[in-house]
Amino acid sequence: MLPSLRRGIATLATRRIYIVMMIVVPMVFTFFFTDLMHRGLPQKVPVGIVDMDRSALSRRVVRQLNAEQLIDITTDADSYADAIARVRRGSIYGFFYIPADFQRRTLAGEKPTLTFYSNMSVFVPGSLSYKGFKTIAVTTAGQVVATTLQSAGLDPGSAEALLQPFGQDIHPIGNPWLNYSIYLSQSFIPAMMALLVMLVTAFSITVEIKQNTSPEWLATARGNIIVALTGKLLPQTIIFSIVGIAAQSVLFGYLHFPLHCHPARIILAMILLVIASQAFALIVVEWLPNMRLSMSVLSLIGILTFSVAGFSFPVEKMYGAIGIFAHILPVRYYFLIYIDQALNGIPLYYSRLYYAALCVFPVLPLLGLPRLRRRLARPVYVP
Amino acid sequence: MKFFHNIFRAWRHETYLVFTDIGVLLFFFFLPLAYPIVYTLIYNPEIVTEIPTVVVDRSRTAESRQLARALDATQSIHITGYAADMPEARRALAQKEAYGIIEIPADYARNIGTGRPTTMSFYCDMSLLIRYRQYLLALTDVRMDQTMTITAQRVSQGGLPTTTVSGLPVDQHAFFMGDPTQGFASFIIPGIVVLILQQSLLLGICMASGTAADRRRRNNGRDPLACHTPAVATVLGKALCHTMIFLPLAYYILTFIPHMFRLPQQAHVAQYMPMMLLMILATSFLGQTLRIFVRERETSLLVLVFTSVVFLFLSGLTWPRYAFSPFWKAVSDFIPATWGLEGFIHMNGNGATLADTASSCIPLALLALLYFLTALALRKALAPRGLRSTTNRCPADTRAD
Repeated sequence: MLPSLRRGIATLATRRIYIVMMIVVPMVFTFFFTDLMHRGLPQKVPVGIVDMDRSALSRRVVRQLNAEQLIDITTDADSYADAIARVRRGSIYGFFYIPADFQRRTLAGEKPTLTFYSNMSVFVPGSLSYKGFKTIAVTTAGQVVATTLQSAGLDPGSAEALLQPFGQDIHPIGNPWLNYSIYLSQSFIPAMMALLVMLVTAFSITVEIKQNTSPEWLATARGNIIVALTGKLLPQTIIFSIVGIAAQSVLFGYLHFPLHCHPARIILAMILLVIASQAFALIVVEWLPNMRLSMSVLSLIGILTFSVAGFSFPVEKMYGAIGIFAHILPVRYYFLIYIDQALNGIPLYYSRLYYAALCVFPVLPLLGLPRLRRRLARPVYVP
Repeated sequence: MKFFHNIFRAWRHETYLVFTDIGVLLFFFFLPLAYPIVYTLIYNPEIVTEIPTVVVDRSRTAESRQLARALDATQSIHITGYAADMPEARRALAQKEAYGIIEIPADYARNIGTGRPTTMSFYCDMSLLIRYRQYLLALTDVRMDQTMTITAQRVSQGGLPTTTVSGLPVDQHAFFMGDPTQGFASFIIPGIVVLILQQSLLLGICMASGTAADRRRRNNGRDPLACHTPAVATVLGKALCHTMIFLPLAYYILTFIPHMFRLPQQAHVAQYMPMMLLMILATSFLGQTLRIFVRERETSLLVLVFTSVVFLFLSGLTWPRYAFSPFWKAVSDFIPATWGLEGFIHMNGNGATLADTASSCIPLALLALLYFLTALALRKALAPRGLRSTTNRCPADTRAD
């Protein structure tokens, strides 16, 4: 066992690519993600206003729009056409239109219409501008009625009950700030980790075949493939686990993202994710013991992981034939554990199957070991 | 004439290399042809409907049941059952039998009857923002309807002149531009396909140069397949080959894919193809600049994985660019896909013209120029001395003769 381990550690130090892939890339990626979205919610969406009325009432609406924190009025457009052109050019993500004679028709009870346009081609700013516009449109209408009712002799309390007879308290569990970074970083950073683990695992095994050194490697373990693989992969498991836990400590510790469970549970999930990803790569390598093919397959799968694992679109709503692929990805189970334990803080019992699934991955490559051993004993490099 | 002949030779040489390398072919053809379809299939259900939800009804009145029915009737919410109390409802959430809890308070109907304001509570699982979003739309609709109904009732009972308060005195109307159904595929695919275009070209180039480096290693620092044309001609010739391959692919990706899946498609082909030409040129020169960092075929795969995700976020598709810090904004400015994606989204979703997207096209042209110069400088700097003007013939030449 010791000679294999010594060799496994020594090879990690021989090539720069290991240090880059195992330490630099995960750290840069974690920094990139958390720094890019450190604001949590991209508030102050640049929007426009088209005020065709220019009355006291319309100016009040504009002032309220200005005070709304989701949006930021950057443009005072002259006309609908002008505003649309600015949306097309991408300088604003939506605009609020106050028609001519707005004040006169409101006071006359003729029900003028406030319209607002949100550019949904750009999802997040589009949605936020919609939300901001909607709030202001509703408030404006409410204020007008309140004034009318009070002038009709109703006390302010009854007027409010008439206006807002039905309210809703909405509680987003675990992420009341609707923070985008909490939502995206917790899935994308582990997914990137899993991907790097897979690529490094595949690289470190197939490079022995490519460089014709695999018989030498097997010899350190006296031909025992399990010992040889453990010697090679165990040092990587340890380094990746440490790097993964460091990334978690940035998220949960430094940034104080929700962690409603004992830290050991999520740390265990990270270690299991590293091992499961190594096993996943091992299966691919057993099946395609060739550096380029195995790494191509892993990269192509890896890039799809971010979409198919259901981090943004729920798996159960995908087409069945596509959704099933989510279940073969180790990072899917890590994600589900994170949701259950860290975000929602529910009892461990509910996540038992996800932990179990992560534990199944390391068992699967045992089937293909004899095949891999044959290829390692007689390496053939196909470019 | 010699200049054009050299470009032609470099083009022929690059084309020969591309079509004889299965790895490069994989990136140049399989990736741009298959991935847009795979991605669209993943997101094609577009919106999340009928999300399982449980109700904790403490009021147990005709009014509260009516509210539950109104919520169930929305597109987003599907009421799967009633829970006796909050712990039972939370158990349903923990078992993933539901993703939201509606709690109707005990005094719900009494408050309506006595003219006091009334409320309901909603608890939402936040694992995916898309569910929260769908819930919010449904809840807002129901709130508006309930408000109208209750107000109308009270006004008619209260003896106020109904003209004073027939609903709200101001109507409102929201328009969703670009993606009226607010579907997920309609929003994300037009952006992703532009990125796929850039990444497949970039990685094909990197892989080809990795192969060349492998060849050099095996032949004592000399590449037997190298084609020794002047640097300007080589860079242009290679770009010509990449454009030749990628322009038809861009047409397929940007025209056929949205058409196949009935995604929004407001753009005219004459508007976005010139922009794509600029992006392909900029990407080709960028690839020819980055190739010096690739010393092994397999390294390009690692670059693929890392940059694809980073570029996706830097393009501003998920997190808008106006919210970037100046540093990341500056970094994203140097990626051709950022501009290509922004321009194409506005063309595809909002019907912008080439003139409207000048703010994207001009940076693209500048990037093309910048990367042309860097590619040229690197090629000149790295060209092996003494080989620059040899009469070495390209292997493609030999074959064509």
